[in-house]
Amino acid sequence: MSKRSPAEQLDQAISALFSTSQQLPEPSSNRSIAALVSLVRPLRAMPRPEFKASLKSDLQRRTTMNEATAPAPESSRATQFRRPNFPNIAPYFLVKGAPQFIDFLVSAFEGTERIRVPRPDGSIMHAEVAIGNSVIELGDANEQYPSRPMSTHLYVPDADATYARALEAGATPVYAPTDEHPSGDRWGEAKDPFGNTWYIATRKSAVSAPEGFLTVQPYMHLRNAHDMIPFIEAALGAHATGVHKSPDGIVRHATIEIAGATFEIDEAQGESQPTQSYLHVYVPDTDAVYAQALAAGAKSVQPPYTAPYGDRAAGITDPFGNTWFLATYLGEARP
Amino acid sequence: MAVRRPAQKPAPQGADERLLVEAAQGDPAKFDALYELHFDRIYFFLVSRVRDRATAEDLTSEVFHKALANLPNYEWRGAPFAAWLFRIASNAIVDHYKRSNREQQVDDLEHPLAQPDLSSKDLNFIERHVHFFRLVDQLPEIQRRVVCERFVEERSIREIAQRLSKTEGAIKQLQFRALQTLRAQIGDRHV
Repeated sequence: MSKRSPAEQLDQAISALFSTSQQLPEPSSNRSIAALVSLVRPLRAMPRPEFKASLKSDLQRRTTMNEATAPAPESSRATQFRRPNFPNIAPYFLVKGAPQFIDFLVSAFEGTERIRVPRPDGSIMHAEVAIGNSVIELGDANEQYPSRPMSTHLYVPDADATYARALEAGATPVYAPTDEHPSGDRWGEAKDPFGNTWYIATRKSAVSAPEGFLTVQPYMHLRNAHDMIPFIEAALGAHATGVHKSPDGIVRHATIEIAGATFEIDEAQGESQPTQSYLHVYVPDTDAVYAQALAAGAKSVQPPYTAPYGDRAAGITDPFGNTWFLATYLGEARP
Repeated sequence: MAVRRPAQKPAPQGADERLLVEAAQGDPAKFDALYELHFDRIYFFLVSRVRDRATAEDLTSEVFHKALANLPNYEWRGAPFAAWLFRIASNAIVDHYKRSNREQQVDDLEHPLAQPDLSSKDLNFIERHVHFFRLVDQLPEIQRRVVCERFVEERSIREIAQRLSKTEGAIKQLQFRALQTLRAQIGDRHV
């Protein structure tokens, strides 16, 4: 006579079932336990809640972007490969406490949450917050993709007002917006509670931020920043649109364009220590760019694959430690 | 305190479903309602045939994306909306096996269960599972979580105990109670 509790007996039967392929092990002599074990097969056929939520969010994104039934006409080659209503380049923040980070972005920068894909434990697998004409992507950090503080340049209509809101939302002041910044823009700096740095600027000079610039521009501080320019040109087909160097060749600031969208780099120094960013970039041909990037010295994080949400996607790490999520929008769920 | 999820409504019939379809045709954002109603049956239809979770997820995604994209062309002819989804799903299975060059498996599609015109017996089989999944959704939250971790994610008792900060004995008890509740709700019937 077994002295094990019914819960123990049940678990032993379930464990035995898991360790076999498909057939039930010896039927339990206890009829009530056997009746419970017979539920295992249908339970294993249940969908993952995370998948159901993720697919729903993806479908919502397609409908809100009007992609599914009436794709917006794409007028230029530069936009054909990117997801409609999505910038070519978006910073991807992986933080500890993604729900709180979303709250911060909404409060500080008047962001609009447009997608949130939760995991069953309440953490966030993927979310998107629209700010101005741009999008910030984010999720909770994990072992594969740990949290990394990043720097971001925000072009906003009123730097002072945005700076004040950021502090109210919990950011730490570095310096208040000033007209004395070398860029010629009104420019301030704050650090959010997650360790990220925000350069909050309002355009004042025609050359600093031409019309059409993204509200959100990733900003990388790099050691030997001058080496990034030939790498990124060879790897991602980018080109530097404005490079300001000191007489000894140090990159003080450079704007790099990839397929019509830009990010900024400079030499890491002083308070601006080297950053390692996550970026999501839409390119005309993920497979070709992935191969090109590896040939230029990048390392593979994820070989190209067709993601269920309709992108051809891949991942690489550049020699500076930045992770690039490459994507080409396929225009439909499956090729 | 245990949190209970609201019970999902049964699939609407006839005129009600037609209204949902027409609403989604007018505003794709309303496709959500059709997705919620039919997700479980389409997923189960697929997983019971391909017998592989990752493939079933890929195909389920494909089915709903195609359904959304083709919704403007859908014409209401009195048949349940699910029949249209099952047809897309059946085509997705065939395409999947063609892509995989699994000729033997394509032959398997001759089986009546793989055909889009499902018999009432087949439909009953699917609906019993959909009903069962909804019973799981209505379990107290902690029991539902244990069930998902154990049977869907296939985690060990030890792993679940660590994730939920409980003892292994407590997890086994929760598992036992959850299955007892489900068994009591469906009675002596097979799922």
